[in-house]
Amino acid sequence: MSSRRLVLPQVVAPRMLPAMDLSDDDAGLMLRYRDGDAAAFSALYAEYKGPLYRYLLRLVRNAGAAADLFQEVWSRLVATRARYEPRAKFATFLFHIAHNCAVDFFRRDANLRGEIAAQDLDPPLLEPEVPEYQRPDRVAEFVEQQSALLAAVAALPHEQREAFLLREETGLSVEEIARVTDVPVETAKSRLRYAIRKLQKSLSPMLDPGALPARTYA
Amino acid sequence: MPDKRVPDELEEYLAGESALSRQYRRESAPMPPHALDRLVLDAAAKPKTPLRAQGLAPLAFAASVLLSVALVLALVFAPQAAKKADDEPRVLKVSVYKSDPPRAAPASPRERKPAVWLEDIAALRRAGREREADVEMRRFRSAYPDYLIPVSE
Repeated sequence: MSSRRLVLPQVVAPRMLPAMDLSDDDAGLMLRYRDGDAAAFSALYAEYKGPLYRYLLRLVRNAGAAADLFQEVWSRLVATRARYEPRAKFATFLFHIAHNCAVDFFRRDANLRGEIAAQDLDPPLLEPEVPEYQRPDRVAEFVEQQSALLAAVAALPHEQREAFLLREETGLSVEEIARVTDVPVETAKSRLRYAIRKLQKSLSPMLDPGALPARTYA
Repeated sequence: MPDKRVPDELEEYLAGESALSRQYRRESAPMPPHALDRLVLDAAAKPKTPLRAQGLAPLAFAASVLLSVALVLALVFAPQAAKKADDEPRVLKVSVYKSDPPRAAPASPRERKPAVWLEDIAALRRAGREREADVEMRRFRSAYPDYLIPVSE
């Protein structure tokens, strides 16, 4: 008599981040802000406003949308400060909020574009409904205003662009990038690898030849 | 035997100081406008006034709690206030009619208009309730002895 094994579906446990020590100064500042120290917030803001703004600006490729998202990210951080527990680096925490805001933003945009496509009966009326950052001429204008490197970054697929920007603007490790973007580490690694491969390929003439090994890419 | 494995571009990049990273850091570094700084910092200093309207959820929750408490109090206390009058048992008279119920009889037969009364009697006859119709007719005649009833009646 053959025994039948019951194969249960594998349940993936939610990723629980271990509580970290408070050696992360920024996490300490966030804790102080949580407990009512407004000056601690100012210090955090001064440190992260630039990287966060550039991450959002170069991710959505539109200054107006980036400003809205920037405001939304800090707003969410302020709103959730009472529940803050330092389970990861503060940068991971902040940019995870930013990533979620960006995801919501692109989802709203996709819905809007879907609605527009569904009502495709009267194109002249729909023309102004297309978000400004989505208009090809605006994107082209944004790209033209950038250097060759930033134009190449802007041309990357969204996920690769995000991985590259997170690395450059925050110095997060691949594991932390994976945590911010809610993907497995291998996925984050793959995105980053593709991103730098494309950037190096498109910029090889202008990059310092001594700093990069001579390499042929498949 | 020495390891001849060549690190790939990602490993070199992550090791730091790649030409790509150096080039990126040489790019312009735009910062948020000062007006945006002020908006964020003001909101963070006064967290009770959010940057954006974050919904009226807390207010709605408080209102619903208040309403629930008021409703519970009304249910608990209001019936007890009226209970004293209801303590005595009462017999309810329930009538079941096969057709439309007859109109309520007025306190005095004279208050009932003859035409309406006759119409009610005719309705009773149409419903086959001859006995009740005859009783009503006798009441009618005693109330309006001088009323000329049309021939059809």
